[in-house]
Amino acid sequence: MSEDGGIDSFGGDEGNTAEVISGPPVGPKVWSITQVNRAVKEMLESSIDALWIGGEVGQWTRSRPGHCYFTLKDEQAELRAVMFARDASLLPTDPEQGMKVRCFGDLTLYERRGNYQMIVRRVEAEGEDGLWRKAFEKLKGRLAGEGLLADERKLPLPAYPEVIGVVTSPTGAALRDIVTVLRRRAPWSRIVLSPSRVQGEGASEDLAKALDRLVESEVPDVIIVGRGGGSLEDLWAFNEEALARAIVASPIPIVSAVGHEVDITISDLVADVRAPTPSAAAELVVPDGVVLLSDVRAAPLRLSRGVRRAAERRRARVTDRMRVLSRTMERSIRPARQSVGMDSERLERSIQQSLDQKRAAFSMLSGRLEALSPLATLARGYSVARTSDGTVLRRVTDFHPGLQFDLKVTDGTVEANAVGPAKPGREER
Amino acid sequence: MIEGDGNKVGLEERLERLEAIIDRMESEDIALDEALQLFEEGVGHVREAEQVLAETELRVEELLAGGEVLEREIEEE
Repeated sequence: MSEDGGIDSFGGDEGNTAEVISGPPVGPKVWSITQVNRAVKEMLESSIDALWIGGEVGQWTRSRPGHCYFTLKDEQAELRAVMFARDASLLPTDPEQGMKVRCFGDLTLYERRGNYQMIVRRVEAEGEDGLWRKAFEKLKGRLAGEGLLADERKLPLPAYPEVIGVVTSPTGAALRDIVTVLRRRAPWSRIVLSPSRVQGEGASEDLAKALDRLVESEVPDVIIVGRGGGSLEDLWAFNEEALARAIVASPIPIVSAVGHEVDITISDLVADVRAPTPSAAAELVVPDGVVLLSDVRAAPLRLSRGVRRAAERRRARVTDRMRVLSRTMERSIRPARQSVGMDSERLERSIQQSLDQKRAAFSMLSGRLEALSPLATLARGYSVARTSDGTVLRRVTDFHPGLQFDLKVTDGTVEANAVGPAKPGREER
Repeated sequence: MIEGDGNKVGLEERLERLEAIIDRMESEDIALDEALQLFEEGVGHVREAEQVLAETELRVEELLAGGEVLEREIEEE
């Protein structure tokens, strides 16, 4: 392209030549603006492939429909650039003025204005994760400012969830991993999947909606939100505000499980618990079924031990009480027993006394009886005369002559005959 | 709402109550009457929980747009 004759190289040479030869001489060939701009545009686009251009961001404006207009510049020069909404929507955030970036796109010409410009398809800030990092920090700062990252906001996970909600892609590795772990660890549980796209434009809004639906269903006890590993761009939906707000709003505890161990996302920060991977999230939300079941089966033994201990305590208490009671009774009857002791002594004494008196009286009486006994009289030499029928013969007149009678003497009885009354003078001595 | 198989008391609640009962029986001096009562209640929870935990078929369902839940097959790797 030479400075003066560039235009010569454009098409239509033959027609021009013919006109010059046949017709009357007229003025030079005049191009319309439209023609020229189109021609230049075609030349630019056909001769220069898409390329990366590095520079500093000048002014950056984003129109209502989402197209971005900006300038790229270095010390000496400027280049106009536009990024259409479809591509711009994938930007994590708009670059700031003065930021060093590299842009990938095509050089073209905006025909209506005749402006030469770059149509940018990608913008990357210099340094690893430049724009992503910036967007991440910006959103993180805003959420932190609202107190949404505070530990006090975190809900505790249920110890024994029965229903585990999962927000992820229905075809992704994350769901498979979660199912595998839960099938092994907690086969009694139930998974309710709320399917969502996990990457690409609008994925964050999609995830937020899927999460909202699950929360509204009130079915899950805990929810895992996540996806398997991928590039920073693939994981980006989990760094966006839509999902972050939905997580924050959930009254059901949420475990965030995005990508691999090293990937930390905004979702991880606002969730109640961050798990390094989807498998780890599944491990974390349910107890180990084998351990749990054996614990439950061991419970009746522990319960019965408790009952036995209570029974032993009760027995010990009863024994204790008995001991106390008997001590108390002992104490309370001691005075009574003492007085009873005293009384009995007195009683014994008085009984003894009366016994003694009676004994004395008796021996006196028996002495007198002795004196009265006929045997004693007989012993002194008297005898008793009795008839055979026992009648005592007391008077002379009782003895008619010839009467047979018994004469009792001290050592026996003698049979005797009455002769008749004795001669006077023999009667008595 | 969709709820778990007509079990009025959830597993969570049941196991937590069971834990509380065992804790109480192991750490406090409770009266025999109460111990017997707790024993009975605890054994009931054990029986019910065991029934739930013995379930061996993980159910995977999908929440549809309308809010209903549909059983779905997930093949493992």
